[in-house]
Amino acid sequence: MPLFKRLLLRLLLIGTATSIWPQTGTIARLPTTTRAEILARARTFAAHTWKCGAANLNASCSKTYKSDWKPGQVITGVPYNWGGFDNPDAFDRKLARGAAAGAHSRNGVLSCTAGIDCSGFVSYCWGIPLTAHLYGTTNLREIGGKPKYNWFTDLKPGDALNKSGSHVVLFTGYNPDGTINICEASGSAARVICHKTTWSRFKGYIPLQYKGLDE
Amino acid sequence: MAQLFGVLLLFLVSSGAALHVQESSLKGDQQLRKIPLTRTLRIPLIRTLDPLGATGPSRPDSAAMAVWPGAMDEPPEGPSGFDVFEDGNLVVTDPLSRRLALYDPQGTFRRSWHLEFASDSVTVTHDGLMLVREANTGQTHVFDQEGKPRSAGAHELPVQPPARILSGKSGTISTSVPMGASIAVRFEEPGSALLSLESLAIDPNRGIFVAMETTAPEGGADAISLRKTVRRYSLAGALLSETSAIPLDYYVLPIDELRVRKGVVYQLMTTRSEVRINEWNTN
Repeated sequence: MPLFKRLLLRLLLIGTATSIWPQTGTIARLPTTTRAEILARARTFAAHTWKCGAANLNASCSKTYKSDWKPGQVITGVPYNWGGFDNPDAFDRKLARGAAAGAHSRNGVLSCTAGIDCSGFVSYCWGIPLTAHLYGTTNLREIGGKPKYNWFTDLKPGDALNKSGSHVVLFTGYNPDGTINICEASGSAARVICHKTTWSRFKGYIPLQYKGLDE
Repeated sequence: MAQLFGVLLLFLVSSGAALHVQESSLKGDQQLRKIPLTRTLRIPLIRTLDPLGATGPSRPDSAAMAVWPGAMDEPPEGPSGFDVFEDGNLVVTDPLSRRLALYDPQGTFRRSWHLEFASDSVTVTHDGLMLVREANTGQTHVFDQEGKPRSAGAHELPVQPPARILSGKSGTISTSVPMGASIAVRFEEPGSALLSLESLAIDPNRGIFVAMETTAPEGGADAISLRKTVRRYSLAGALLSETSAIPLDYYVLPIDELRVRKGVVYQLMTTRSEVRINEWNTN
């Protein structure tokens, strides 16, 4: 094949490859994932069972830390940890090393606690590697776009409902009575939970669809 | 053959009557009775938790409940559950202080019960017991009005009669009176659609109370916008009244958003500075 044709072919291949993977300012190429994979990840967080040891009731880096848990308590759901981005395996490893189980913003910014917060949870479910807490509710729009379909009737499992500066949850399905099912890292519940809820709590929220979806 | 036909006809008629009750349409000069917000109880003094822990939780005899304002990417936390006793007294969860607080029908503090856990929801049973949900585990605990734990026994959270959305303009709610009947709900506001239905209460003397969520006719292209009202139907399915729009600007998200007792619709609204109990009297 003549040289210029080989060069042209290479340019075409590079152009095609870069157009498949969406690009953001924070991650060069978004990992692709399916809706089934998103839901499966969410379920691993909500179904993760762990036991709170005595060491996990205290935060070595904070004198005023107060735990949500009791010694020996067995909990289902990865704990809520403000600023945290631990998947279940990372959480278990930190727990075993004596990290405190979960924290809230009223405990301060702590480096010795384990768990996950709302935007870390949605990011991980979308397949973003949790090497660092890259996305919060204020920049989740970089990797999630507003769906073009009807927000009330056509949301799809794996879409998110986001309120910038406040909170984000993962949509998982509809109920016959019109209410919806979500999964979230909840501060008030102190852990990741999946449950039914009404629309009234989502006034002011914006639906987002992950840009790296493989549909 | 004639007998068989008669039996078959009787069966079909009775089945149709038992299974479905049509929403009676308003005729002539009948108008839907609109119920404005009747009263707002303001439970005074919300304390914000000191992040350094210098101030502890509320004292048992304190009317003040605790709220935490949250932070970036963390919503506020505070009173999120409530219910109404038969005598009109109100019980409200105070999760950050690990207690339940009791107020009289005028919103005056009466007493509190200490809990060993944070609670986000409370349901009063027909015999005056309290089913209290532990926020961190979802487990339900039973207490009497002295605050003494009781065995769970046969006490379970009430099951709501199922509802179904059929379209943006109609739905049904099953009822237990008569057996197997359902109420037809119609919603015909131009530019708006029915989103969800929830059965709040079935009162043998006052009827059926249904919470409706609908899209806001004024739009919402930038963010989710909706309206919520409560309708009261007769047991025969006639639409009797509808509340004004339920305020939805929640500071602390409620778990127990709406309750109905003796024809009064109650809403829990925890703000930055107080706990409000909004009331719509449909009697």
